[in-house]
Amino acid sequence: MIYSLMAMGITFIYGIMRIINWSMGEFYMIGGYLQYIIITHFLGVENWYLGVILSMVGVFLLGMVVQGLLIKPMFEGTVENRMEYATIVTIALSVLFMNMAVIGAGPFIYSPPGYYHSTRIITLPISGTRFVAFIGTIVLLFLFYLFLKKTWWGRAFQGAAQNRMGIQTAGIDVFRLDQIAFGIGVALAAAAGALLAPEFFVHPKCGSIATMKGFEIIVIGGLGSIPGVLCAGLLLGLIESLGAVFLDPSFRDVYGFLFLLAILAIKPTGLFEERERVA
Amino acid sequence: MKIINHTVISGSKGRSLSLAVLLIVCLLPFWTGEYYMQVFTIAFYYVILASSWNLLAGYAGQFSLAHHAFAAIGGYTSALLVANFGFPIWLGILAAPLSSALMGFILGMLCLRMRAIYLAIATWAFAESVRITISMTYEITRGDLGLAVPKLFMGKGQGVPYYYLFLGLAAATALMTIFIMRSKMGYYLRAIRNDEMVARVMGINTTRWKILAFILSSGTAGIAGAFYGHYNGLLTPVMVDFNEMAFIVIMVVIGGIRSIAGPVIGAILIQILTETFREFGEIRMVVFALAVIAIARLYNEGAMGVVRQVLQWITRRKQAREY
Amino acid sequence: MEKKNNELLRTENIIKDFGSLRAVDNLSLRLEEGEIRGLIGPNGSGKTTLVNLITGVYRPTSGGVYFSGRRIDRLPLDNITHEGIMRTFQVARMFADMSVLDNMLIPAFTQGTSKREARHRAQELLDFCLLGKLSNEPARNLSGGQTMLLQIVRGFMRQPLKLYLLDEPFAGVHPAIKDIIIETIQKMNREEGVTFLIVSHELTTIHRLCSQISVLHGGKVISEGTMKEVANDPRVIDSYLGG
Repeated sequence: MIYSLMAMGITFIYGIMRIINWSMGEFYMIGGYLQYIIITHFLGVENWYLGVILSMVGVFLLGMVVQGLLIKPMFEGTVENRMEYATIVTIALSVLFMNMAVIGAGPFIYSPPGYYHSTRIITLPISGTRFVAFIGTIVLLFLFYLFLKKTWWGRAFQGAAQNRMGIQTAGIDVFRLDQIAFGIGVALAAAAGALLAPEFFVHPKCGSIATMKGFEIIVIGGLGSIPGVLCAGLLLGLIESLGAVFLDPSFRDVYGFLFLLAILAIKPTGLFEERERVA
Repeated sequence: MKIINHTVISGSKGRSLSLAVLLIVCLLPFWTGEYYMQVFTIAFYYVILASSWNLLAGYAGQFSLAHHAFAAIGGYTSALLVANFGFPIWLGILAAPLSSALMGFILGMLCLRMRAIYLAIATWAFAESVRITISMTYEITRGDLGLAVPKLFMGKGQGVPYYYLFLGLAAATALMTIFIMRSKMGYYLRAIRNDEMVARVMGINTTRWKILAFILSSGTAGIAGAFYGHYNGLLTPVMVDFNEMAFIVIMVVIGGIRSIAGPVIGAILIQILTETFREFGEIRMVVFALAVIAIARLYNEGAMGVVRQVLQWITRRKQAREY
Repeated sequence: MEKKNNELLRTENIIKDFGSLRAVDNLSLRLEEGEIRGLIGPNGSGKTTLVNLITGVYRPTSGGVYFSGRRIDRLPLDNITHEGIMRTFQVARMFADMSVLDNMLIPAFTQGTSKREARHRAQELLDFCLLGKLSNEPARNLSGGQTMLLQIVRGFMRQPLKLYLLDEPFAGVHPAIKDIIIETIQKMNREEGVTFLIVSHELTTIHRLCSQISVLHGGKVISEGTMKEVANDPRVIDSYLGG
């Protein structure tokens, strides 16, 4: 499902920097806001996909700034307890962004126009936006996959995830890598926000559900595992849909969550274990 | 940046300062009206939560994101027993920490072998489950509509007995924390936080102490939640929103993590500021969030650090004058 | 020094596999009470793994570790010290946010020693190795050599300390501190009968301290004896040169 993008962002950032960014949902929200502004004031809804891209770029830049100010110092030795620091700072960031959204844009709910007309998948009706968002997600995930496997940068990131010290000796500037990785991670969240903006509307709290779904996928799929995210994303979507169809649709979110709890109890590290970092 | 190791302001300075503060706080109801009494009562409630969370997360290094959930568990346990099953209030309040401590025990056991990151996620998931459960079982808990809870004290002088009740609980929590951190357990918890493996090599049964920290911290939160329910008269799932947990973290960080008085000061300060500047709305949280970021990034010790520096400066001035 | 001829520690054919890597290969070692044994060998020969196996950080894939005749390789990590066994780490590991003195107190507390007694002994030990003035400093403020010294001296808080395993205690340590470490080891061995197993690359220091030396290579003991015997053993020479 589309929230795989969230999970991908969380996992990617974790893989490079070994921190959990608790404000991912807020970057999703910012992506949504940017998308709304772009398509209602500038490009128009026909160019929604351009809007998505631009939102991603905007949030990417924001992410780099945030990383440089807040996260990088963790690695420069000025902070003692990294995990605690990262958690505190990213939680504070999420509070900051959410409240700034209320101040900046008011507690209103914005709904950008839908991206596409309603269609059907086999016999199930599906809203146009969701359909298109799903396609968009697949495209982005595919591009991300290509990026990781085929480009130089992508391989550098893979290297960093496996052996941080090793790639430094190979002459790569790890701090630069960190910054870009963070930017990419939150850009993915923004993409999700931009894609789902017409469906779930744009308002200061829209990030919370995204964070939740993102973490659900992470727990199920395993932190730090890219295939895990993909599988878990599909699995979660499947379980929720099946539950909604065959059981009570109003408990849709709960089914996924119950599955998450089951995974936590049985295999807390998720379906796919993370590969241990060597150095 | 100089780091202070043992974070109680020990000695006569600390004691006299604490007593002075305590005295002021005890006499407060005579000076202020109903409104500020309520503000302080809630502040004391948060003092309990902040202090007990600091024990587990600050001192023992178990960064749990489920603390607000334990308060909710305690609150709802007592409320349901009293409202739906006709238990006397004191029995409900007794049952509350039992249930929250039990859940804390279970959560602690599940999280025993987890690395810090997974602990955060697992505790987060736990808290969300509690929230969802409370919302979903609305036939019993009245869900988002809110559960009406019989109040503890009826009659006139509404605010005063609650004020002293929560004041007493807050003071008791602070004393408990002092007692624990001064005892061997305190050393063990700090060692566990610093380096769990070495702690084990030194002979510390890290399992036992981590679980104990979970139980104490969640039990305390449960008591607080229970009393809160019987004070407020209403419980809603909002109390187990992630925002509540963020609030606790903010209070502890601003006040000074890993100090006894830090959570106390932080909770009272934040609560007072929140109420006093109510008309500023969201700006309050923006300011708090920025303060947390600044403190975490630049001045880890928070408000307590400032207090300590001031006291040290005073001592040095005194010493200089004596020569 | 009285020769006691009592076996204190014995590893019997222990094997430790990490996946397909065999780090320790049928290793049998025997330590007598009161010995100061050196453990040398090229990098990757399994020295630290052996220390980890003895102290319960790793479980052997097969084989056993016996301490005073009792099998200890199944014990949980935090029970090992209760046997009277302590160890240090190659990279000195401290409770960084706790004071030097507090670091010393922990091993005594877990034994049940009272705060006052523990403080007294801790200060004594710290004074002996010239760290006394630093007792209220946070451990993170110490220099590298000082942390190693603190790490070592911390172990002596446990009474009785029967066996002490030191992993590279001299690596990167200032010569003055090295001397203090050597003195402390000798004093503890002499006065309190502590048995030592010292892993090190510093052959001159090992020669000075240790009466017997075991040489490890490829997870096996390839030679044992006095420094002279071992230095002239062709297998040892081969292992260091050939690798």
